[in-house]
Amino acid sequence: MDAQKVDMFIMTNGKYFESHQVAQIRDSLINLDNSKWSVIQTLQFKDPTISLIVSLLAGTLGIDRFMIGDTGLGVGKLLTCGGLGVWAVIDWFLIMGATREKNMEKLQQLLV
Amino acid sequence: MPLSRNKLYILLTVSCIVGYIWIFINYTILINNSSNDIGVCIIKHVTNIPCPSCGSTRSILSILKGNLSESLYWNPIGMILLLIIIIVPIWIAFDYFFHKDSLLRFYKKSEKVLRQKKVAIPAILFILANWIWNIYKGL
Repeated sequence: MDAQKVDMFIMTNGKYFESHQVAQIRDSLINLDNSKWSVIQTLQFKDPTISLIVSLLAGTLGIDRFMIGDTGLGVGKLLTCGGLGVWAVIDWFLIMGATREKNMEKLQQLLV
Repeated sequence: MPLSRNKLYILLTVSCIVGYIWIFINYTILINNSSNDIGVCIIKHVTNIPCPSCGSTRSILSILKGNLSESLYWNPIGMILLLIIIIVPIWIAFDYFFHKDSLLRFYKKSEKVLRQKKVAIPAILFILANWIWNIYKGL
């Protein structure tokens, strides 16, 4: 794909991924077929900052985990009062990374 | 990276161990008849309103005392949790010894089922109704 298009994608969506993944994403996007550009361009990613806010406000109910698609973990958090309150606090620090991982998974499904 | 087998099993084992320790601590407090004011619920401490799963410890303790109706009164979620905490370690041990991943497959399947609207909406309604009941009871 066009390097210019790829750089544009990285510029707009770079914040949704872990920094160490960005170089790899750039490489695989450049090698990608041009026909997939329209699909890649319209992909919606979850914002890590939003999930952090949700985690801070409603982490005990597991809403943050539901939001990024970890339904099982969300149910676990909901039923155990946020893992006796401990898991909810741990997730304040993990949720941003988890969201970025989920975004990467979503993109990788298209790249393969 | 999707949730791997080992990661899920370690997470579940740790949560079950913590759960058993938690029940044990509360049970000894109950037997010694000392006042029970250990509360870990963040929502209850911050807002003074019980969360949907407040009371599940008391519910499990009621089952241990053999009082099923009292356990239902405290919180029906306690029964679900007790079932999970009994079944999951056995299931993990089974998978571990026979080198299978049936629990992981079951977990992923139930995640998919839970995401369907016809399952998700009743589940959410149940949790909300339970929450309203909790607030009404003033747990």
